[in-house]
Formats: sequence, C-alpha cells, structure tokens
Amino acid sequence: MEAKPCDLMTAAPPYGHVLCSEKWTDSALVRALRGGGLKILFEKELHVADFLLPNKSSILYVSECDIIAGSSYKRKLVRYRNASNSFQELVLVERTGLSEQYFSALQRFVVLELGLPLLPVGGQAEASQLISQMIQADGRENIFRKSSCRLLDPLVLTLVQQIPGVGRVKALTLLQNFSSIQQLCSAAPEELEPMVGQTLAQQIHSFFH
Amino acid sequence: ASSSTDSPASPGSVSILVDSRCISGAVELLTSLRQRHAAAVLVCSLDASYFIVSNRMAVEKLSQSDLAAMPNRKRLADRVNSLQRLFERVCLIVEKDRTKAGEASRPFQRTRYYDSMLAALVRSGIRLLWSDCAEETAALLVELSRVELRKGHGIAVPLEVKGQRREQALQLYSSLPSVNYAQALNLSHNFRTIAQLVNSSVEAIQKGGCMSRIRAEEIYRFLRYSCDSFLIKTSKAGKTS
Repeated sequence: MEAKPCDLMTAAPPYGHVLCSEKWTDSALVRALRGGGLKILFEKELHVADFLLPNKSSILYVSECDIIAGSSYKRKLVRYRNASNSFQELVLVERTGLSEQYFSALQRFVVLELGLPLLPVGGQAEASQLISQMIQADGRENIFRKSSCRLLDPLVLTLVQQIPGVGRVKALTLLQNFSSIQQLCSAAPEELEPMVGQTLAQQIHSFFH
Repeated sequence: ASSSTDSPASPGSVSILVDSRCISGAVELLTSLRQRHAAAVLVCSLDASYFIVSNRMAVEKLSQSDLAAMPNRKRLADRVNSLQRLFERVCLIVEKDRTKAGEASRPFQRTRYYDSMLAALVRSGIRLLWSDCAEETAALLVELSRVELRKGHGIAVPLEVKGQRREQALQLYSSLPSVNYAQALNLSHNFRTIAQLVNSSVEAIQKGGCMSRIRAEEIYRFLRYSCDSFLIKTSKAGKTS
C-alpha cells in the first residue's frame, strides 16, 4: 500500500478483477461481484473513484445516502471529473424511491454540466450486475462502434442524381465524361450538350452557378 | 422575413430540428418545445426519426422497453451508427414507458441483456439521458441545445430556406457524405451557389458549414474525387446511410 495514488490511476486491474476502494470491503455489492466469479482487489485510496475495471473504466458510485445527505457529493463529482486520467469515467447513481425526487437535478449536474456519463441503478445488487456486464462486454465486439470508410463512387452518383432533371442513366453518362463533381460543376453548357441535350445542359449549368 | 417563428429569435432561444417521423408519437413533446420552452422547431424530413439540437449533436429518443428488447438490437445499432457518421455527438434519451389509464405500472425488469446494452452504449461514447415523460424529454432537448449554444455549436442560421433553387441545393448538400441536415442548412445559407462551395478552400467549407476540420476536408476531397465509372455501374445505386 505504499504506491502513490497517481501510480494506481495509470494501471487497470487484470482481466476478471475489479479494483475497489477499501470502503466497499463489507458491502453487498462486492459480495455480489464475488458471487459472479470476479476477483476483488482493494486499495485504500483509489483517488476519487470507487471501482476500476480491466477495460480501463472507472466508476464513481453515488448512493442514496449521498444524495439525501446533500451537496458534498457534488464536490466529489467535480474532483472525479477533474482527475484527468486515461480511464473512461462513469457515474452510477442510486435511483430509489427516496432519491427519486433529486434524480432529475442530479442528472443535469452530472451529464449536462460536468459532461460525465450517468447510469441509474436501483441499488447495489443492480450495480454489481451492471459492473459484471461491463467487464464481460470487454471481450465482445461493441455493436455501437463507429463505422469504417465507405466506397465514394456510389455516393458521387447519388449526389449527381440530386441535380434536377438528372436520373441514374444521365448521371452515369455525365460521370463517364466528367469524373468528379468539381469537373462537372465547371463544365460549360456546350460541353454538357452532347450528353444531355441543350435544354438540360443549360439547366445543369445554371443549377450550379 | 426575420419575424418568422422558425428563425432563431432572441439570443438564448434555441433551434431544434425534428424528423417528421417523430411527430405521430410526440405531439405532447412538440407542443411543450414550442409553447413552454419557446424553441424554434422545424419539422423536416431527416433520414431517420431523431432530433438535431446543434450543428454537431443528434438526439434519439427511445423507450426503456425498446432498449431492453433484444429483437431491437440490430436496428438500434444501425440507427446509432448512422447517426455517429453524421454527428460528432450522439445522445440517447431513454424515456420511461407510459402506462395506459387504468393499467397498473409494472416495475421494470432489469436484464443482463439490458445492462450489456448500457455498457456498450457508454463504451462507445453515446451520451445517455433519462426521462420520465414527454415533458421532461422536451426540457432535456432544450437544455442540450442550450449547452451546445453556449459552446458555440448552436444552429445560427434560419431553419428554412426560401425558394425552389435553394431547396434543391439543400437536398444536394444533404447528400454529401457525413454532412448532417444542420450543416447542409448552414451551407445553403452561407454559399451563394453550389459552384462557390465546390471551389472553396477547406477553411471556407469548415466556416460555411459550421463543421469540424476533418469533415470539411472530407467534403473537399469528395468534391474532387475522381469516379471510376466501372465501379459505379457495378455497384447498387442509392445512399447507404
């Protein structure tokens, strides 16, 4: 336990482990995580976070008690946000019958003012299930990943078809002669005429200019 | 013309674009946006049902049971992914299910699947907000829009374009890859002609479209991209959004 907090913050626990702040030692949450087959490591002081996960996520837990007791948890949230590290931050909020009335204001503070993601949980049992899923999800491919690049050619064709009077066939003919939108745009009406006729050639030119 | 209700009126009032597909299920929401929050709202035809609250942020609304239903998984992923292509920020408002009159409200059953969806959404940087009713969703939309406005990403141009030519140009701008409807609106207000945009520098596109440098570069390259007519002919036409 000699390590400095800043050293702790840079290392994620190994796969299948959760690093917990020591105050969670005897909690229902930790018991449930153990029951789910996860190994628990404790640290005296995890900076501000409550849990660190192998996928480099850190979690701050705002309990029903925190919420009802008043505003000191807000300072904790701010410190959590400002503790810049490479972990992805997440705030879990106990949304229960008692804390319900404060939820909306708390959400505004956490999500809109601090810009931190927030997930409500009904209690420690639900939180442990969510944390287990977060760890398991790590091994799977995320379905909400940003997509990779696409072929541009069909997109150019679609765009050319947005020109009034130009359908698929005419668009293809135009692109065989002027291969980019910039070329097509700077073509004189006389250059377009052999492909689409005089009237449309004029229309295309004036559409661009 | 500045008296139009759909133009950004006083500073501090927000502009929100709503897809026409949202209307049927969200009359309450729209009324609240317009009357309670005095937001400039324009219903338009986006490519899916969502809201645009700034030049870079889209908001999708979803009921809690829709998020919890496994058969929706693929469709939701497709929708979110296509929004992530068009917007730097994507937000999901999860609305509590409405109980019909006389029906007892059933407590929501939290499943492993539901938790895995939440984990995946958070992991990919989707912002999640939780709402109890249409009224609260409207308030959240307005606040998101205000935050974006404060950060300099608010929609500052009129939400409508006048005249057939401009409308046609707007259509064309909307079909530029990775350009969302708000940015297309900016382009149609800030460039006099399409040729002017086509021959603009990356900086001018970035400024005129109120978009990121990366997106402006993408457009710049796209406008100069030389097509292979063989590739076009063999590929299926149509926007793959």
